[in-house]
Amino acid sequence: MMKKIFVIAILFLLLMPMLSACWNQKELTDLAFVMALGVDKGEHKKFDVTFQIVIPGNVSSGQNGEGQGLPIAVYTSSGDTLTEAARKATKKISRRLYYAHTNLIAVSEDIAKDGILDLMDALDRDPEFRTTTELVVTRNTPAEVLVSALANLDKLPVNKITKEIKSTEMMLGENMSINIDEFLAGLVSNGKEPILNGFIVKGDVEKASESEDLQHTKAVAILAADGLAVFKKGRLTGWIDHEKARGVIWILDKVKSTSVNVDWNGRKDAITMALLRSKTKVSVEIKNGKPIIHIVIKDEGWISEANTVVDLMSPSEIEKIDRLVEEEIKQQILASVKAAQKMKSDIFGFGERIHRKDPKLWKKLKRNWHDHFADLEVNVKVDSYIRREGIRTKPFWSDLNK
Amino acid sequence: MSILSSMLKKKQKKRQNDNYRQKQDPQKPEDLLILSDYKDNMARIKGEFGNSTDIVFREFKFGRKKGICVNVDGLTNQELISEFFMESLSVSDRDDNLQDSFQLLADKVVNLGNIQLITDWNQVYDALLSGNTLFFLDGYNHAINVETKGWEQRSITEPSTQLAIRGPKDAFTETLRTNTALIRRRIKSPNLWLESMKIGKVSQTDIGIMYLKGIANEKIVLEVKERLKGIDIDSIQGSGYVEQLIEDQAWTTFPTTYHSERPDVVTSHILEGRIALIVDGTPFVVTAPAIFIQFFQAPDDYYSRFDISTGIRILRILSFFIAVIGPAVYIAATTFHQEMIPTTMAIAIAAQRENVPFPAFVEALVMEILFEILREAGLRLPRAVGQAVSIVGALVIGQAAVQAGFVSPVMVIVVSITAIANFSTPSFAMAIAARLIRFILMGLATVLGFYGIMLGLMFMAIHLCSLRSFGIPYMMPLAPFNPRNQQDVFVRFPVWAMKNRPTFISKGNMVRTGENQKPGPPKQEENNQTSNGES
Amino acid sequence: MEKAKIKASQMFILVVLFEMGSAILVGLGVSAKQDAWISMLLGLAGGLLFFLVYYQLYKYYPTLPFTSYVQRIAGKWMGRLLGLLYIIYFIYLSTRVLRDFGELLTTTIYFNTPLIVINSLMMVIIIYAIHKGIEVIVRVGELFFGVIYLLAIVGFLLIIFSGLIHPEFLLPVLEQGWRPVFITFIRETIIFPFGEMVVFTMLLPYLNDHKKVKFACMGGMILAGINVTITCAINVATLGVDLFERSNFPLLTTIGKIQLANFIERLDVLFMLYLMIGCFFKISVFFYAAVVGATDLFQFKNHQKLSFPIGLIILLASITIASNYAEHIQEGLKVVPVYVQWPFQIIIPTLLLIIAFFRNRKKKTTSTLI
Repeated sequence: MMKKIFVIAILFLLLMPMLSACWNQKELTDLAFVMALGVDKGEHKKFDVTFQIVIPGNVSSGQNGEGQGLPIAVYTSSGDTLTEAARKATKKISRRLYYAHTNLIAVSEDIAKDGILDLMDALDRDPEFRTTTELVVTRNTPAEVLVSALANLDKLPVNKITKEIKSTEMMLGENMSINIDEFLAGLVSNGKEPILNGFIVKGDVEKASESEDLQHTKAVAILAADGLAVFKKGRLTGWIDHEKARGVIWILDKVKSTSVNVDWNGRKDAITMALLRSKTKVSVEIKNGKPIIHIVIKDEGWISEANTVVDLMSPSEIEKIDRLVEEEIKQQILASVKAAQKMKSDIFGFGERIHRKDPKLWKKLKRNWHDHFADLEVNVKVDSYIRREGIRTKPFWSDLNK
Repeated sequence: MSILSSMLKKKQKKRQNDNYRQKQDPQKPEDLLILSDYKDNMARIKGEFGNSTDIVFREFKFGRKKGICVNVDGLTNQELISEFFMESLSVSDRDDNLQDSFQLLADKVVNLGNIQLITDWNQVYDALLSGNTLFFLDGYNHAINVETKGWEQRSITEPSTQLAIRGPKDAFTETLRTNTALIRRRIKSPNLWLESMKIGKVSQTDIGIMYLKGIANEKIVLEVKERLKGIDIDSIQGSGYVEQLIEDQAWTTFPTTYHSERPDVVTSHILEGRIALIVDGTPFVVTAPAIFIQFFQAPDDYYSRFDISTGIRILRILSFFIAVIGPAVYIAATTFHQEMIPTTMAIAIAAQRENVPFPAFVEALVMEILFEILREAGLRLPRAVGQAVSIVGALVIGQAAVQAGFVSPVMVIVVSITAIANFSTPSFAMAIAARLIRFILMGLATVLGFYGIMLGLMFMAIHLCSLRSFGIPYMMPLAPFNPRNQQDVFVRFPVWAMKNRPTFISKGNMVRTGENQKPGPPKQEENNQTSNGES
Repeated sequence: MEKAKIKASQMFILVVLFEMGSAILVGLGVSAKQDAWISMLLGLAGGLLFFLVYYQLYKYYPTLPFTSYVQRIAGKWMGRLLGLLYIIYFIYLSTRVLRDFGELLTTTIYFNTPLIVINSLMMVIIIYAIHKGIEVIVRVGELFFGVIYLLAIVGFLLIIFSGLIHPEFLLPVLEQGWRPVFITFIRETIIFPFGEMVVFTMLLPYLNDHKKVKFACMGGMILAGINVTITCAINVATLGVDLFERSNFPLLTTIGKIQLANFIERLDVLFMLYLMIGCFFKISVFFYAAVVGATDLFQFKNHQKLSFPIGLIILLASITIASNYAEHIQEGLKVVPVYVQWPFQIIIPTLLLIIAFFRNRKKKTTSTLI
């Protein structure tokens, strides 16, 4: 009996330290949720980091009925490393910076050109960061502006940006969601180069971070996605825009729905086909010791606009439109490939595919892959099917001049 | 150290010996016998009972002899005795010398009921206090003990706990005989054996042990009887006392015996091979052995079809878990693992917690204790008002606290969900266990977040797996896993598929249902009628 | 030895939980890059082979644990020495697992908490379990087996639905040929986790049905082996070779990538749940084997007296065996396999088997003479 008491007493003593402090405990009110990070080239130090912190009381539908203030607060700090900048920021912020909900990291063009690599390890190693955080490059604007800008549709501007990327990936296909992991995978692999989305603040940049901006129905400053940033050996080498960007996304098999215009009867952009589904298959063929890339795209869609006289009920006409669409898509894809080849940056991952298909050949090509890539032969084949034409048969244009 | 403890022990023993009741004093052998003179007997009884006014003495003349009839008013059926006196007890003076008066009296008294001849004083008191009537005849040192029990008792009403929507609505009452009758009516088999014993030195409570011979495990029956015999306490006021005294392990919050107010529940347990302990004076019947999963089975499950029953049972187990880990998870998620909460929800909770002065643990603790107090208060108030007050109280106080800025609305939600989940456990004993464990887990969560909760749950699992109820592992049939017994654990097989009794409890006849019990449309014969009805 | 009996199905579950315990967490077979899963399968085959050695030894002495029959085979003093060495070996292995577990928690979620706190709390629970005996441990195992499988299936489904799996990351298969695969196999996967079945030589006597040993243990190993291989393959398919090589805890990284329907994300905590259960069983089995061995060797009456002291030893050792994580891993990959695991798991049992074979042959011949 005594022994039992003795043992229990020892156990309690061992467990005592638990009560003295709770090391990892953090109250929600002691945390500052960092929603977005912006990194610019620093004047005195290497990086100027901007933190977008959410003010919870102004975001949720508060029941205390206080006046709706601004949902975010922005603080800046600088340092030679990301960790240093983060710790220095505590001099300005009353709470502990918490990165587990950081959904966006914006990098300015300058940093992208030189220095983005120094950021990456901190983001990769710290368990608090999510690896699914979006990474974007800001064009012609400092990242600070992007991170401080407000938005009128979404309370939290960072939601606007992340949702926007996803939505445009789905509907247009000129941008795609790229997170830290994918960027790193592209950096590390020698058969692929990474790309990043570009963002721009249109309009009056100064007013972007003021709440007056929101008082107008047509906001004075708007955040918009704009093109793809192409990297080579960890540095930004160039931009690809508009349809060429879409071509890139297409080859990467991330395009889901978009629209393609074709000419008809001499009229430019007369018929528009809206794609519903698209699948891209990239395969490698080795001929005479040289790799040839075959890109096969299969897509389906419906005709969303027909602004000319055309008989949409006749299958042969539909087939003709199909051919035109296929040709149009093929041209766009080839143009994208050429644009990337000009930059000598294999953003499509063709090198990786060659590696998988024929490792021995890859070993030979690995060293100067950029040059080999520039001369790579690429074939594109598109199969496009228009399934439906909406709820009208002939366009009213057919009846116009009667 | 040892001197002190031995001194303490000596003092304890002395106190115990002093308090020993007088009955334990060795009595002289002559005192044990009934005296021949009935007047002496009467005086002695009066003396023992201190002239208690509810002991009724009736002197009568039987032939030429005199005698007294003693009984306790209120325990006996007085009408019966009066009738007896009026009708049977008249005898002519002529017969008395020829026959033994005592025998004659005995023959008459048989009209009243079951009789016994007793010579022992202890038996006298036992008999009197059980509601029997004693007849003393002058000159004989025996007494006639006849059963004339009859007292006011509650009629059979609806059970106050364990309500079933579709099922019998009678419940046990406080009288042993009524309860055994309720069970006998449902099991009309001679194999249903009833053994009685009296427990409790002062209270001498009757306890009945009922089981089905041939189906119940003999070893368990013996074990139960052994433990009952070993009880040395002065009174048994309710079946809870018995439970606590014969339990396997005292240091656990989980119940290892089951109690119920419903005859159908007890009957089905007996049919599965368990043993029922019926305690006089309380409507709660104890069944042993009990296993963990039993406490999640409600009588309603068996009266509905299997699909609904299965769904609701899974819901119950789920709500048990919510009741146990609810507040702990909230505390862990908001103070340690904020990354787990979706962003918008995290911001919403953060907004609510801005104005709250307490850390999450204190908030949770205060709200939980408040709820417990409200629940206790609701029990004390008269029935009509009690329910309303506890619900209204919870809502109003919760709302007021939120508006005053003491607690965050999320906390109120968490606590209410936990409380409601707690109520859905069919067995009250298990619900109490859940309440206690909840607080421990909350404490662990405060210190170490999810790791603490997991540690607590693992401890609970190890503890549960090491429990035994009368030799049967508590977590049967989950661990050790027995595929044949899975028919009533999480899923409830249809009645026609529950072929065998649980193998771990009963050892005898295993088969419950016959073959081909699955319902279906009537089978058609081979060479049947053609369509125009020719056979 | 306790007076306990275990059913074959319980042994099966114990084997599965034990094998899967910490094998899934750390990066196993990483040096084989995308062919890690092949070296896993090879490890499974090798482990099965070793198990046959242990099984044969068991058949010679079905009621004795290892520490008893090693005395019979190798002679009293040699046997006692070997038994002691094995007890220390088991203690060391459970210390390693405890350290692994603590390191994982402090790296990912609880980085401010001191290691000793996490380890000591885990040990309290395990000491309690050991105190209650092997029957309780296997019962808890049965309870948690369903939970673990549920977690695994849910996790698997979530990963698939998040669209994270890229089977092409597993190509090209055998890019560097068989050599790296073999080297990884010999150095790593055969001894961890499959070679560790040597600890079951202490537990096999508890089984109540001698014929089912083969099925229970080998079946358990196969199931666990398949699980580990699949997990490995999923890790590579989700993360790609580079990230797989760079991650300390690949499965954690994979789970961290799950993002579904906007609110299911950052499920690291579920991973921690699984981890706790897996490590609990692994540490418990090693710990229990050490306790039983010590009880047997030093002729104690029951094992409960030893559970607390040995537990304390394991706890303190887990803090002191390495001063940082890199050292701990380095030990585990370079030093331990060659100097510790190979002798204890393979060389000594095989030698013992040969000696036992000769002894029994002699016995048979002598008995036929009579």
